Amino acid sequence: MSAILEVDDLTHDYGEVLALSGLTLEVPPGVTGLVGANGAGKTTMLRLMLGLLHPTSGSMQVLGHDPQREPLVVRSRIGYMPEGECLPKDQTAADFVSYAAQLAGIPSHEAKRRSSETLFLVGLEEERFRFLGDFSTGMQQRVKLAQAIVHDPDLLLLDEPASGLDPEGRTQMLDLIRRLSDFDVNVIVSSHVLTDIEQTCDWVVMLDAGNLLRSGPLQGFEKLGTVLVEVLEHPDSVAAAIREQGFDVVVDGLRLVVGPGDESIEPIVVSAVAAAGAGLVRMIRGSASLEDLFLNRETV
Amino acid sequence: MADQVIYDRGYRSYDGARLGPKGARRAVYKDGVRRVLGLGRKARQKIFPWTLIVIAIVAAAVFVGIHWAIGNIEESMRQEIPTYGGLFDFYSGISLLFIALAGPQLLIPDRTRGVLSVYFSRPLTVDGYLTSKVGAFATVVAAIYILPQVVLHLGLGLIAEEGFLTYLGNNLDILWKVPVTTLAFVLVHGAVVFALSAIIDRTGIAAAAFLGTLFAGAAVAGRVAEAGFPAARYFSLLAIDHHPRIIRDYFFGDTIEYAPEAAGFEVWVSAVVIVGLAALAAWFVRFRYRRLA
Repeated sequence: MSAILEVDDLTHDYGEVLALSGLTLEVPPGVTGLVGANGAGKTTMLRLMLGLLHPTSGSMQVLGHDPQREPLVVRSRIGYMPEGECLPKDQTAADFVSYAAQLAGIPSHEAKRRSSETLFLVGLEEERFRFLGDFSTGMQQRVKLAQAIVHDPDLLLLDEPASGLDPEGRTQMLDLIRRLSDFDVNVIVSSHVLTDIEQTCDWVVMLDAGNLLRSGPLQGFEKLGTVLVEVLEHPDSVAAAIREQGFDVVVDGLRLVVGPGDESIEPIVVSAVAAAGAGLVRMIRGSASLEDLFLNRETV
Repeated sequence: MADQVIYDRGYRSYDGARLGPKGARRAVYKDGVRRVLGLGRKARQKIFPWTLIVIAIVAAAVFVGIHWAIGNIEESMRQEIPTYGGLFDFYSGISLLFIALAGPQLLIPDRTRGVLSVYFSRPLTVDGYLTSKVGAFATVVAAIYILPQVVLHLGLGLIAEEGFLTYLGNNLDILWKVPVTTLAFVLVHGAVVFALSAIIDRTGIAAAAFLGTLFAGAAVAGRVAEAGFPAARYFSLLAIDHHPRIIRDYFFGDTIEYAPEAAGFEVWVSAVVIVGLAALAAWFVRFRYRRLA
């Protein structure tokens, strides 16, 4: 299946504030994490995908359609869960989710049926006839998710879905998102909490101040860890030889931490140790967390 | 006892009809009507609109009753009792209260509670959203104006000496005069309440601002128009609540002289002001919401 999102040299600014700068990336089907600190450009990216903002330059294709030229076509195939408050407090959950389905073009009788099913899915079957103003934050987040999926979208955009939830609520929300991927719903999850992304996604797009840091499979990121090397002697000579190949090396006595980098590090280390006659005691690859990579801030 | 099994229905895909932007607009329209009438809301949100609706219809029935009672005493005296124009006048206060409640309810909660982000993630444009809201407003407010007139019309027909059908046949002009007068009221009051609700974030304040704009505006405009400086008469046009009443009087007979009339303006000027005000408000609300979307 082709990419659900294709972005080509996309730039967006709010006057003098540059929100996104020359982004080029592709996102495959599945669950994708859009990560970055507050102000990184995540919400701008989502709003561009919905056709609510127009890029300053560059282009974007969502599910094969340009959201600038065909915003209603794109929006009819997308479900969106906003980060902030978006629920009318004077409606019941069942009424609102049914209304959300009708807003997506589902006929009213079908919308009511899907509303019940969707609220059942998110665990609110008992509370569906209660007014939203009486709901806790966790329940409101579930209703927000329900309104986003009730019309069976091809792509689901979740903006900080676990925001404001306690640890238990956060776990339940992430479980729900993971469960959606089992039903072949494509999801893009925007979050600044990297552990949430690690738990739910199989592809990750990292933004920093409007720039693309990395875009790739989460599995690949794990391979970009560091390698711990211990030698018998001449650690500085070994470090110098490895640095010549373009990798970072931190020397701590007879131990060296090399990387981050992919599996090409190991042969380079072996060659460097042999050339220096240092004697290799051990070589262990450590996995990197998203946080390590994000803090490293190297673009790929 | 048979084994009990609970099936997790999971998440089911949907392959049925999708009505697209048309369905979205229809949904907003239906929700607008329900919201204004308090349907699907808590009981206290139903009390005010339905009380006003009942009062308006009862008022029409009372008018018919008065006609019937007076007619039994002296038929010629019935000519002195107000009919359609008088009924408009009688419940104009009720309709103003209703509009002061309904207009802000249609726009403000969606905006202040962030629901717009849900609307505009669906196949719905700003224009589609606003026209559906205006449609819902116009439907309910027009019904409040027209339903009592229907009750009055049928009631007067039933008690008419010439017979029901003959009365209806002799008063066919009512069928267009009432809707046109209603349109004048809906345009003016709708324009003011929508413009205010687009910029005020509290429904109570918007309602007060609406009533204040109409009442205080008329009073101030009338006073300034009477001042001696050149072009003072044009200030009378700012008594915007007087314009639909001038249209009503044009069709159903004069009641009192309103500020624009006192300043020498013809009825067509009021018609132009009404249309201009509605167009200006439509532009303003659209401009405001395009920035919000």
